[in-house]
Amino acid sequence: MSALEFVNVSKSFGDVNALNNFTIALEQGELVSLLGPSGCGKTTALRIAAGFETSDTGSILLGSTNIISLPAHQRRMGMVFQSYSLFPHLNIRDNVAFGLKVRGVPGDVRKKRAGEMLDLVRLSDLGHRMPHQISGGQQQRVALARALATEPHVLLLDEPLSALDAKIRVEVRDEIRRLNRDLGVTTMFVTHDQDEAMSISDRICVMNNGVIEQIGSPRDVYNNPATSFVAHFVGSINSLPRGNTRVLIRPENLVLATHGEIAQWRGAVTDITFVGAFTKISVVLDNDKSSVSVLAISSQIDHNIAIGKNIGINEEIR
Amino acid sequence: MKFVAKIWPRLYIAIAIVFFVAPLLSMARFAFQRIPVISLGKDNLFKRWTIDGLLTTLRDPEFLHSLSVSLKVAFFTVLVLLFLMVPTTLWVHLSAPRWRGVVETVTILPYVVPPIALVVGVSGTYRSIAPWFLASNYSLVPFYAILAMPFTFRSLDVGIKALDLRTLVDAAKSLGASSLRVMWNVLLPNLRTSLINAAFLTITVVLGEFTIASLLLKRTLPMYMAQAQGSEPQGALGLGLLILVLTTILFTLVSIIRKKDSKSINVKNINVGMVP
Repeated sequence: MSALEFVNVSKSFGDVNALNNFTIALEQGELVSLLGPSGCGKTTALRIAAGFETSDTGSILLGSTNIISLPAHQRRMGMVFQSYSLFPHLNIRDNVAFGLKVRGVPGDVRKKRAGEMLDLVRLSDLGHRMPHQISGGQQQRVALARALATEPHVLLLDEPLSALDAKIRVEVRDEIRRLNRDLGVTTMFVTHDQDEAMSISDRICVMNNGVIEQIGSPRDVYNNPATSFVAHFVGSINSLPRGNTRVLIRPENLVLATHGEIAQWRGAVTDITFVGAFTKISVVLDNDKSSVSVLAISSQIDHNIAIGKNIGINEEIR
Repeated sequence: MKFVAKIWPRLYIAIAIVFFVAPLLSMARFAFQRIPVISLGKDNLFKRWTIDGLLTTLRDPEFLHSLSVSLKVAFFTVLVLLFLMVPTTLWVHLSAPRWRGVVETVTILPYVVPPIALVVGVSGTYRSIAPWFLASNYSLVPFYAILAMPFTFRSLDVGIKALDLRTLVDAAKSLGASSLRVMWNVLLPNLRTSLINAAFLTITVVLGEFTIASLLLKRTLPMYMAQAQGSEPQGALGLGLLILVLTTILFTLVSIIRKKDSKSINVKNINVGMVP
């Protein structure tokens, strides 16, 4: 039995089909990302699970119970939002204890539990501070502690890292992954950032226009994209002519032809970007003028390559 | 040029101060100096100051009665207004942003409809169907609620805009709070400054309103003051000054609270509006 299951959930706003027969099952303790561009329906799905949005059809099963008609406050879903959603009038400890307070948990138990949760996100010294006195990353960790304090059935995360700067984003991302593993809490993570989804998820559900394009492990989604949309959205990809058709090949699966070698494609170099271990070489193909990028290992690049020079490209044989 | 550029703003401020303060000082001299008005001049600026006139008025049972009527009416007006406007403003922001314009327009109607039209219309209706309603002092409450509506709505509106309302409500609900608890434990505490602001503005409206009270023949504080100006003019003006000072203190307190709150709750730029 799955921990959380969407069965044929559909939702439209006026003429727009936000979600179309959305069906997915999350196993206990699993972290699943809903990944897609804005407007693909991922947040709608999450908000329907949380009870903030009603669905037109379908059901949501928590274990074997259909919770679709249950109001949000009775669903026991922990939720973390993009904007730091801490209650501005309460200090950090009281924020974490809020869910316990509304459930009628006695004061001393509440205090102890809030302390434990703050320990868990390594912020136990900040319990007396007000939300505006701590940083964005800390606020988001408090929001996590608050959502987990009530021992929710499922943790719902709505782009929780989007408002954070790059370094803090990685820290909080790792924190989420650690909590998911340590506590075994089933987690649904909404994001538009493929790197985020790749690094954090057990499985990724790629969505577009309210429809699921593919569900699979990050490796699976990257290496065996089910549709052209997935191939283009997850990672970068080149579309190259081959006979009368086109083939999709990732930049790291292309190699530069060595001198004298027969090349499948030829083109002029338009840009060379050094990114450390790798170098990205942009090329415009001779025959159909399409733009292609090749990701080559920096130490293996021929030093004679320069912008404007004509080079050969081959698909890497593995 | 530099000198002129520097002097202008100061001159301007000086004129403004004279414009506002001179009448108050004249009022204070009239109210608190036991010298006939005709002889008030710069020679006797510091002579025969007394608060006897004010004390006589403050001891007048009629004054105490009218003050208590006004305060009771103010109290109930605040209750009625907040009871009506807090849910309305929250509803407009949460569920019906399209209606915000309509609600805003409705709240400024008291500026458009003159009080006399309001009273004549309403009293005409009630005199025939429920004459007991107009007999009570509390019949002023609905009128004053309408008059203070613009201040209340704006104060709440600004306070709510400063919050991330939708997320706060969703966060509280996901933590298990029912709608009532969300309102009580999350929204009202975060709107504290707006609520205090709205309440004080409403009180000043009630303590200053004359037309409606006069048309409905209620013994409110402004009515008493208008009458007392005939019988005990020094006391009445002294009282006027006292009320002005008290209101100023009240609003200073509000702005101190607001500044303190804006640090923690991030409520910014709440417009206190016009003090009637």
